[in-house]
Amino acid sequence: MKALAKGAGLFGLAVIGFLGSVLVIASFAPGFGLGMVFLLPAPILFARKAAGLARRYTLAWTGVSIATPYTPAPPPPVRQPDGWYRRDRQLYRKPWLPSMMANLDWLLGDNATWRDLAWMLLSPFTGGLIAVLPAALIGAGISMPFWLDQRWAGLLAGALTVLIGLFTAPYAVRVTARFNKRMLGGPLLRSDVDDPRAVAHPMREWFGRALVPVLKLAVLFLTSILGVLVFAATVAGLVLGYGLGLFFLVPMVLEDLRWLADWRRSSLAPWTGVSIPRPYRPFPEVPRSDDGLYRVGKNLYKTHRWAMFAQRALWLTKDPATWREVLWRGTDPIIGGLIAGVPVLLVGYGIWGFALPRVVQLLFDGHSGAWYGHVAGQAWPAVPVGLLLAWVGIALAPKALKLHGQWSKLLLGANTDAVLAQRVEQLTVSRAEASNASAAELRRIERDLHDGTQARLVALGLSLAAIERLMDTDPPAAKELIGKTREAAATALRELREVVRGVHPPVLAERGLVDAVRALALDSPVTARVSTTVTRRFPDPIEAAAYFAVAEALGNAARHAEAANVDISLDETDDLLRIVVRDDGHGGADPGRGSGLRGLARRLGIFDGTVAISSPPGGPTELTMEIPCASSLPRTSTS
Amino acid sequence: MRVVLAEDLYLLREGLSQLLRAHGFEIAAAVESGPELSAALAEHRPDVAVVDVRLPPSYTDEGLRAAIEARRQVPGLPVLVLSQHVEQLYARELLADGSGGVGYLLKDRVLNADQFIDAVNRVASGGTVMDPDVIAKLLANRPAAGRIDQLTAREREVLALMAEGRSNAAISQRLFVSEGAVGKHTASIFTKLNLSVSDDDNRRVLAVLAYLNSLRSQA
Repeated sequence: MKALAKGAGLFGLAVIGFLGSVLVIASFAPGFGLGMVFLLPAPILFARKAAGLARRYTLAWTGVSIATPYTPAPPPPVRQPDGWYRRDRQLYRKPWLPSMMANLDWLLGDNATWRDLAWMLLSPFTGGLIAVLPAALIGAGISMPFWLDQRWAGLLAGALTVLIGLFTAPYAVRVTARFNKRMLGGPLLRSDVDDPRAVAHPMREWFGRALVPVLKLAVLFLTSILGVLVFAATVAGLVLGYGLGLFFLVPMVLEDLRWLADWRRSSLAPWTGVSIPRPYRPFPEVPRSDDGLYRVGKNLYKTHRWAMFAQRALWLTKDPATWREVLWRGTDPIIGGLIAGVPVLLVGYGIWGFALPRVVQLLFDGHSGAWYGHVAGQAWPAVPVGLLLAWVGIALAPKALKLHGQWSKLLLGANTDAVLAQRVEQLTVSRAEASNASAAELRRIERDLHDGTQARLVALGLSLAAIERLMDTDPPAAKELIGKTREAAATALRELREVVRGVHPPVLAERGLVDAVRALALDSPVTARVSTTVTRRFPDPIEAAAYFAVAEALGNAARHAEAANVDISLDETDDLLRIVVRDDGHGGADPGRGSGLRGLARRLGIFDGTVAISSPPGGPTELTMEIPCASSLPRTSTS
Repeated sequence: MRVVLAEDLYLLREGLSQLLRAHGFEIAAAVESGPELSAALAEHRPDVAVVDVRLPPSYTDEGLRAAIEARRQVPGLPVLVLSQHVEQLYARELLADGSGGVGYLLKDRVLNADQFIDAVNRVASGGTVMDPDVIAKLLANRPAAGRIDQLTAREREVLALMAEGRSNAAISQRLFVSEGAVGKHTASIFTKLNLSVSDDDNRRVLAVLAYLNSLRSQA
């Protein structure tokens, strides 16, 4: 009974939300339509109140806590010393206008605003409705004996319906609560929503396994259909561009419509288990000659703008990957659509065309013509044939997914030329970085030696000369000076040791990477554990790069993440040296911001190594570095 | 006292030989490579060996490995290891057998002849000498670790000097306090670190180092 009341309450919240959304949308009309933007913030804040109400009572009634996902409000405008208020590149006398505009940006720019509105609009018909379905069932069950012809059958069916309603009430409440959490709680990870008990349920697992491929195929099918539009636009652009001389259309349709293919490569291909790298050649720079003209191919341009346009056109049209992709745009709606469509249609038509209508007909004794629920005019095979078709569709789905991926790869993947071109570009960049880095390194070492050790040795020589002079005339002073000279020698040694450590840590030369990392761990202010399966030595440059990378990672863990424990693991797995540094610090490392991480990537990039970081706020931070190490490196001299 | 000396740089080898001879040591052998060192240690069974970590032919940690191997065959063979750089890693490996008579110093320390000779003597008589740099690293990196926390600044100083292998008398000279005061400090350190008091110089250093080491490895 309690669940029924809660369900009614949740539905009530949804209805209130819906009524609120009508008001909000009504007020949007003058706000957006007539440009009276100052009318906008108040209704949005009102919508937030309604969403907040739903959050509060969902927690109170169901125990599902929903985070408040809004971005923080902007600070009030600050008065500048000259008395004006500034916003972007505009100055204002009074603070209210910039303040309102900041508020507008804040409210309209926050995705949570729109999710709130979507929840308000949809909830009474979707998630919120589920909460009252059991109550509706019970109502229907109670009324059944009164309108069914046979009294006894009606009583039985009614009692059954009431029972089902009672039984499902708590589940319905939970479903609605989770729906609210998804809509109102901001972007979520899957693991935040699904409780593990439900996931482990075998029925649910089977459904997931059987239906997920079909759903994926359905999405792929829809994108293939979407491809028709893209291809039509491409053809129109090319015809107008080459036919009517509207050349500016050509690069536009070629490059700006790449998004569909990019989307297929990046987000949909992982579904099929086929990885498709982006095959396009990198955009070449436009060289500027001495006389100030830009050169593209055999043409010279006065302005950078035109040169860039010509370069872009040349770059696009000369790249075979472009034309392969255009071919894909034309063929994918047919071939890709067929591959994805067949299983989807089998399942869809089997269930909704044959089985389900037949069941409905049997239950309600209706007649819906000879099309639905009939196989070749016969009613009886509808259910078995429908289920059989669905089963065939489900069985085909995984294979169709894979096939679809391979099909995409055929035209969207890179051919050897493109792979080589990308490789050359990548190597050019990493070579430039490597030589810059090593030049900077040499300069630093030179400076250290010049300002440190050399200077000290000069001073040492001067002192010795002084001692030589004093020896006979003033032995006590000479003796004192000797002591000082010895100290100076010790200092010079100490400085030299630091320089050497920066060039190539001695322990690395003596013991190799693993022990050098152990030594690092011992010297680190955090407690660092080292585990390893590495038994061999790697080429010197790789060891040095890996060593400095670990040193950097350890330093970061101590400095930025304020970690207390760090686990370092070094493993070699088929031709790959993998180093994972994991700390228990507060996380939140931003790979875009830290120059240290970029330096790390650069250092390893020279060896085609990669750096991946996972650092959610609150930690833990995990830095994974992988360096291919089987390839026989060209001889690299470090001396 | 007979010394086996291993150092690959001619100038430094000769300098060390001279220095040791001048202080009454007898140079049983002065060698320049790892294999020669192993042979000399086996042949002469010196009272103390002074060994450079990096030796030919591999120019890696040849000297260190030869020394550890020799100590495995002759437990307690006194070895003073010299290096251009100090690593806690090496210090732990040298101390691992726990039988004392080990020293590990930066080559810089040779500049101070008296201290260096003192260190050789202490190693030869079974003491343990660790370079102040190693001790400093051990202490510096764990400012907030467990029981070390409870030590006063003075007690830490005493502990560091103790770990260098110095006697109470030497510590008292160094810190300009009476020997009795040092005794009090050491007793307090032992209590705070939960170590049983012992007069044995060597054991007390080993205990301190073992404690510091365990602190790092257990965490």
